[in-house]
Amino acid sequence: MYFSRLICYNKLQKMRVYYKATYTYKIFRMFMQEFENFIHTLGLILGFGIEFFKGLKNRPTTIRETMVQAARFGISSLPITLSIVGMTTIIVAMQVAGEMVKQGAGNYVGMLVAILTVREESVIMAGFAIISMIGSSLASEIATMKVTEQIDAIRVLKVNPIHYLFTPRIIAGTIMMPLVVIVASLFGIICGAFAAHMVSGLTFKAYFDSVWFGLNMHDLRVCIMKAISFGFTIALISCSCGMEARDGAKGVGTATTKAVVWSFVAIVILDMIFAATCFY
Amino acid sequence: MGIEVKNLVKSFNKKVILDNISFKVDDGKILSIVGFSGSGKSTVLKLISGLIEKDSGEIITTGGDIAMVFQYSALFDSLNVFDNISFALQERKDLRGKYTQKELEKIVAEKLDLVGLSGIEDKYPSELSGGMQKRVSFARAIVTEPKIILYDEPTAGLDPISSTLIEDYIVRLKNETHAASIVVTHQMSTIQRTADSVLMLYNGGAVFEGTPEELCRKETPYTKQFVEAAIEGPMKMK
Repeated sequence: MYFSRLICYNKLQKMRVYYKATYTYKIFRMFMQEFENFIHTLGLILGFGIEFFKGLKNRPTTIRETMVQAARFGISSLPITLSIVGMTTIIVAMQVAGEMVKQGAGNYVGMLVAILTVREESVIMAGFAIISMIGSSLASEIATMKVTEQIDAIRVLKVNPIHYLFTPRIIAGTIMMPLVVIVASLFGIICGAFAAHMVSGLTFKAYFDSVWFGLNMHDLRVCIMKAISFGFTIALISCSCGMEARDGAKGVGTATTKAVVWSFVAIVILDMIFAATCFY
Repeated sequence: MGIEVKNLVKSFNKKVILDNISFKVDDGKILSIVGFSGSGKSTVLKLISGLIEKDSGEIITTGGDIAMVFQYSALFDSLNVFDNISFALQERKDLRGKYTQKELEKIVAEKLDLVGLSGIEDKYPSELSGGMQKRVSFARAIVTEPKIILYDEPTAGLDPISSTLIEDYIVRLKNETHAASIVVTHQMSTIQRTADSVLMLYNGGAVFEGTPEELCRKETPYTKQFVEAAIEGPMKMK
């Protein structure tokens, strides 16, 4: 009895060793590892988010630092955001204006461009620009502070690093993103007017009449709400990923990549939720 | 009373780093913790300062603030020397708003004077040498008048003259603040010039506890190997 059990056990052990060497097992392990990392990061971001709100209740944020971060979010990202939104709108206007004027729908060109710009393009493009420029720099800045023990120094000095570092950055992101988006939307619509005029000879008056006709307050409200949520999300994710950095320079790189990827995915998901809940 | 550590245990990923470590440091005294890299010296400091949680054991302190000087200074590189030193006074919840700008300036000037660096308030950490950065981090550590000061390899990466200067400042700060201090170090000169007592860690446990003089007498195989910096001996590098 004992020996048969022993043989069975040995056979099971051998099967286990064999199974662990298979590619199926390795792929499964990698998948589970990634899933674990995903859950861990998600939990982390939520935890830091809660801590941020607690901090808002407890302490007024440093105004000077918030202003510095606001300038970083707003002014630094504006040129690249305007370029991207402007060029994308020109491309759209060039693609549709000629054809629509030919089909007798010239009066709708402005409306189409404006709706597209305000509802989607300006917010998502500004989001991408801010992630690439500001989100990545926030993550690498905080990650560098983490690996050089500056965060530990903040803790030893009995200051909450979440409140000290996250609060001004998240407030700045949440306030500045709508402003950037409003400027980018206006710029995009104006660029669209020039492109439509050059391609199809559509008059500026006809274009802007169509813009006023097509746009409504609901579009603007949703645009601003989206921008606020994107700004908050990008700043929170970037700071959180930076905060979890470890292992020197490599860790800083990993944290920055993680912040960019997570922010991209998060704002696309948020955009989908807004599209599904606000326009249908 | 200073600091009293009783049966401290800490492990990372099931690997025991500190196994039943006990020691005591009185006010106005300096304990030097020595040992191989990875023997848990810095972990002791992180546990005392509250940066990490212990698995078991007791850490009893006098109360009051605990300050820590980090191995690579850990100055905030986006802030100038003034803001670095006055950071806790400006940002700590219980101290915020307690001092006027004039008072802050006076306190920072006093602390800078104590570490021999008057008049560098406007400079940024990147503009300072390694030794100066270390002294600024001393000034930042003592700004809240701590009762306990922890030094994590304070002379690492410094030239011999800067090291001597730093060692002198460690003793001077001890005399000025009467704080209980722990200095983690690898350097014999730091032990001899600063420490009142020495604790040697190896494999999670304490293998020597005594005075610097007793350490230098090389009466045990551990102290002999450490003082002679010998490869052969009871302590094996991993």
